[in-house]
Amino acid sequence: MSERGRRWLGIAAAVAVIALLPVIAQGSAYWHGIMIICALNVLLAISLNLVIGYTGQLNLGQSAFYGIGAYVTTVLVQTLKWNFWLAMAAGALAAGLVGIVLAVFAFRLRGHYLAIASLAFAVITYQILINWVSVTKGPLGIYGIAPPPPIALGPVTIAFTSPANLFYLVAGIGLVVYVALGNLISSPIGETLRAIREDEVSAAALGVNGKLWKVFAFALGSAISGLAGAFYPGFVGTLVPDAFFIIESFTLLAMVIVGGMGTMIGPVIGAVLLTVLPELLRGIGDLRLLVYGLALTLVVLFMPGGIVQAARAIWARVRPARAAPGTAS
Amino acid sequence: MTALLRCAGLHKSFGGVRAVQDISLEVAAGAVQAVIGPNGAGKSTLLNLLSGVYPPSAGRIEFEGRDLAGLPAHRRARLGIARTFQKIRLFKQLTLLENVLAGFHIHHRIPWWQYPFPAGSARADRARCHDEAHRLLAFVGLADRTDTRAGSLAYGQQRMLEIARALATAPKLFMLDEPAAGLNSAEVEFLLGRLNELRGRGLTLVVVEHNMDLVMSVADRVFVMDHGEFLFEGPPAEVQRHPGVIAAYLGAEALA
Repeated sequence: MSERGRRWLGIAAAVAVIALLPVIAQGSAYWHGIMIICALNVLLAISLNLVIGYTGQLNLGQSAFYGIGAYVTTVLVQTLKWNFWLAMAAGALAAGLVGIVLAVFAFRLRGHYLAIASLAFAVITYQILINWVSVTKGPLGIYGIAPPPPIALGPVTIAFTSPANLFYLVAGIGLVVYVALGNLISSPIGETLRAIREDEVSAAALGVNGKLWKVFAFALGSAISGLAGAFYPGFVGTLVPDAFFIIESFTLLAMVIVGGMGTMIGPVIGAVLLTVLPELLRGIGDLRLLVYGLALTLVVLFMPGGIVQAARAIWARVRPARAAPGTAS
Repeated sequence: MTALLRCAGLHKSFGGVRAVQDISLEVAAGAVQAVIGPNGAGKSTLLNLLSGVYPPSAGRIEFEGRDLAGLPAHRRARLGIARTFQKIRLFKQLTLLENVLAGFHIHHRIPWWQYPFPAGSARADRARCHDEAHRLLAFVGLADRTDTRAGSLAYGQQRMLEIARALATAPKLFMLDEPAAGLNSAEVEFLLGRLNELRGRGLTLVVVEHNMDLVMSVADRVFVMDHGEFLFEGPPAEVQRHPGVIAAYLGAEALA
């Protein structure tokens, strides 16, 4: 099958899964909630992967952009009575602009140094959310946040007070972003970002402006996380800074690594797995975190390339007759 | 012939070390200019100054009559200056094809919206780049390895891949930093053939090299450096007879 054919088949399969999931959940509010969180985490993980996996910039501050998107959207809607969709765009834009600030750090800092700077950046953002009480209401949080307003499509009105519809909305946005980002990564822009990841000096010798493309990757990655943030408060109903504590950044990083850094599908698998697994383990009480931590450690130890790389290696062994599987793209 | 590249009074110091001192050089369009000298003569530093890896401490560089002062490496690549590195710098995790494709960075013709949502021009651009990349890989003798990871190539093949990647930028001036280093005699022979082919197409070459056989058979002019300073400039035949050059290479006693 052609590459384009496979891509359309993949999109069709994703649409089918998204359409069927609420049916399988049979109206369970609990599982609908997990599905929505899954979809948000997929958006966050693929945006972080753009920066870490493809551009090679060790960013430990992604939770900050999630928070910025959530707070900007909510404050604009609650306090300034903006239209939600406009506020959502503003939230994503604000996160993207702040992402450019972090990109400027990446002009000079590499590897571990950038990791520390981005971590500090996430801590500062968290402190601002806590202490800027007049705008964010501080640690008390913002309450009574409504879901996105209904959309009228001719005679049909889609209300997002229904968890299934909210899931369709977030998962639909997730799918569009995934496809667009996947195309971007397969385009010459993807070649450019990976060139920067591999060797900035020789990328420059080929005419690549490293600063410009880092700004691009950070801005786009941050804007996508900000977009995810726009939907989080309306789903939970409340907004507190603790939702964007730095631990969230590490969880996102774990999703990217477990799934497979520098692949498109890897972070999706990682995000779903690391969202659903802790829920499935609720039955065993406090042992849950122990099992979760152990599973993470085992994956990193025995599948350093993540689940996707491990699956490819197994596939290559099972089907040796076929041509070597395509490399990470 | 007009000078494509001209530099005058170039100096570069690292801390207290004077790596390049008062170097002036003109490279005519279409010429093959060799730069030779013992280890530590400042040849690679000169190449890094010309390609914009770091700025000179003093001096002036002109390309096609244009002052390159303050122009970063990526802007110089856009003007048509390409290079390879003495210590090979490939994109090791990427395939050979992807390495060369990255070299087309400055030549894509795609409307911005077709990057996330590819249509006609994006597909045409992709097909064109893939064809050209395969052609360049065939040119350096790597046509059958396009899907191999660059890091797993043999040393000599890595040098050839770096040449193919640099050629993807379609340069006017191509600077090679010790292209024959680490190559066996068959590979040197192949490299020589490729360099002559490029010369035949009118490409201007600057070749920093230790392999004297290669220098003598490919260069129009030879520029000799020693301890960061200018020693001699002239046609290959004269270089071998120049007492200063012999002294620099073999030691002063050789002349006594």
